[in-house]
Amino acid sequence: MAMKKFINDPANLTKELLEGLVLCYKGRVKLVSDRIVMRATPKDESKVAIVTLGGSGHEPALSGYVGEGMLDASVVGDVFAAPGAPKLLEALRLLKRDAGIVLVTLNHAGDRMSASKALRDAEKEGIKVREIVTHDDISAGIDADPEDKRGLAGCVPLYKVIGAAAEAGKSLEEIVDIGERFNRQVATLAVAMTGCTHPQNGEPITVLPDDEMEIGMGQHGEAGGGRTKILTADETAARMIALLMQATGVKAGDTALLIINGVGATTLMEMLIVYRKAAQILADKGINVTSGACGEYLTVQEMGGFQMILCKLDADHREYLSAPARTPYWNA
Amino acid sequence: MTLTLQMFKEMIAAAGEAIRAEEKRFSELDAAAGGDGDHGTAIVTAFQAMEKAEGADFKSYLKSLSETLQNEACGSTSTLYGSWLQGMSDTAPAGATELNAATLAKVFNGGLEELGYVTPARIGGKTLMDALIPATEALLAAHSQGIVTMFEWAAAAAEQGAEATCEMRAKFGRAKNLGERSIGPRDAGAASMACIFASFAKSIKAAC
Repeated sequence: MAMKKFINDPANLTKELLEGLVLCYKGRVKLVSDRIVMRATPKDESKVAIVTLGGSGHEPALSGYVGEGMLDASVVGDVFAAPGAPKLLEALRLLKRDAGIVLVTLNHAGDRMSASKALRDAEKEGIKVREIVTHDDISAGIDADPEDKRGLAGCVPLYKVIGAAAEAGKSLEEIVDIGERFNRQVATLAVAMTGCTHPQNGEPITVLPDDEMEIGMGQHGEAGGGRTKILTADETAARMIALLMQATGVKAGDTALLIINGVGATTLMEMLIVYRKAAQILADKGINVTSGACGEYLTVQEMGGFQMILCKLDADHREYLSAPARTPYWNA
Repeated sequence: MTLTLQMFKEMIAAAGEAIRAEEKRFSELDAAAGGDGDHGTAIVTAFQAMEKAEGADFKSYLKSLSETLQNEACGSTSTLYGSWLQGMSDTAPAGATELNAATLAKVFNGGLEELGYVTPARIGGKTLMDALIPATEALLAAHSQGIVTMFEWAAAAAEQGAEATCEMRAKFGRAKNLGERSIGPRDAGAASMACIFASFAKSIKAAC
């Protein structure tokens, strides 16, 4: 199947989408040094800065969450590829402050390696930075080694929580603690129904038979192993929420946040139908479901499917989730 | 017998030539083990970038190698080789334009140590570390034999380490997703590292 996309020279995809982002949201974000998206109005230097890194092609992630109340900067790589360590180091230098910086790294080999190198170089330069690695994907198994669990869209509510904590003036240590606690209580599971193409070379990333779906597929179409015949929305939601409840350990009386993240081709109609069933199951178990989110937060081009994210919330997480945020794609 | 900066620059140039000659093989090995199939391109780009490096002593030349490479190469090759060379630069004595065998071994070991901060891979992970770790150990063990012999030992150790990766199952990078199917071909990163040490040995022998 030929690729049908509104693009120009494939080599310029990342450059052009970032230019579009900062033109569209010029009051909120600006582009620095080609690949660093920063807040248009910097946060006070007395507060901890939050930075993340990752490849492009997943819009609105990750740069769509730069802004007041969430990220201070996002360092962008090529399509589905980590940015290099020098670019990340450049962002860390720009944000250097006594209060310190939190770097959020999604657990993918390339991102981890660039982050390790930049952290090492930053440390030599006396830049105070701590790393939080996200590994919310449970498709490798609930008890799998965290190093084998990928970082999926669970990073988005994490940005919100620690971004708000930073705005509230929490210290570097406190923010890392809040973030790591959130990390332990969030779980994500993805399901894919149709594949997508790599927008730079037109190659299919994953191919699924017409009558099958795959639970556990990664952010770049990596196989997750859970292939079945297509199920209904309710059956899919029930199967996924059961695993996520087990992974987060959420129980009657707890408060939880439920997010359905469409990955590209799945309609909001479908997402809402899935949300409905998963939320009903949680409520039936006596779990207090806070107001959630349904939409496209971290996409994989035109892949059909969604990621279901469940977070067990502590009191401070609830407070930070509802604190103000003004970014291109997340507002509160 | 010491290694002059000029001899070292010739070693880098010789390695670049050897790498270019085998570009296709490195990409094929990468694809065969479940990687992106771009290792040949990545490592050739890295050596092309390093041609622009300058420096009047070991420390500054190694730093320049690390920086030019990181500016132009991409992906894991950029980070791994950038760290390796930077670690060597950090360890090299300030202002030195020639190194004796013992210092040279220490400089290479400094590179390996820095790399250890950036990647969790060690022996057995089916990565370039399977060639680099034994090669560096050989340099440390054989430096009393002089620079020609120590690099011959290192080249042999790197080759043996690269060959051993055939039997390994990938634990890092995209090849990891292939599991058992990654067993068989030599790891592309270990293969290119062995090629680099082989040309280092040849270049030093020719200069001495």
